[in-house]
Amino acid sequence: MSDDKDETQQRLKAAIHFTVGRLCQMTGEDHQRGFSRQTVAAIAETAFRQCDVFAKDLEAFARHAKRSTVNSEDVKLIARRSTALSIHIQRKTEELNQEKKSTGKRKSRDTEEESKE
Amino acid sequence: MAEKNEDIGFKKDTISKLLSSFFKEDKTRLSGDAVLLVAEMLKVFVREAAVRSQKQAASEDCDQVDIEHFEKILPQLLMDF
Repeated sequence: MSDDKDETQQRLKAAIHFTVGRLCQMTGEDHQRGFSRQTVAAIAETAFRQCDVFAKDLEAFARHAKRSTVNSEDVKLIARRSTALSIHIQRKTEELNQEKKSTGKRKSRDTEEESKE
Repeated sequence: MAEKNEDIGFKKDTISKLLSSFFKEDKTRLSGDAVLLVAEMLKVFVREAAVRSQKQAASEDCDQVDIEHFEKILPQLLMDF
């Protein structure tokens, strides 16, 4: 049981590492300066741990609002420490709401994505 | 890679599973929008880490971004998120 959990965790870590690698490669190309493999691994590890912090905060925020489901309001609270970031997240939320309205026929994004898989 | 630069990001599924695995209580659920927003947050976090490390490396006139550059920007990065 715990072996299974460990393996999933390892796979998720690998997925994060992969995306971090691509994002670093992209910035590297923009600035003509590559990242060492060690640096990419360190950024991936930091992102993974940051995700842990996010999850614990989100859970606490949702519980404080007496909900068991984390929603976009909780994510907005996570982004409160930096003004630019919270504006960016606010705009993203509005974009998501707009998209939902324009795809009026479908009930929600979740059902839409399930049908794709 | 066929994808445009802006399209690189974390998958919804990955983030959803990752967040769920970190929750203390099993009954905590996630809304679809929340997952997409966290994925965006994490992308901004990584890009911010990458660009700040780039700048640090540039200020030290290095050809490659090394772990010491990332180490130098890490404290401020963590304070900003």
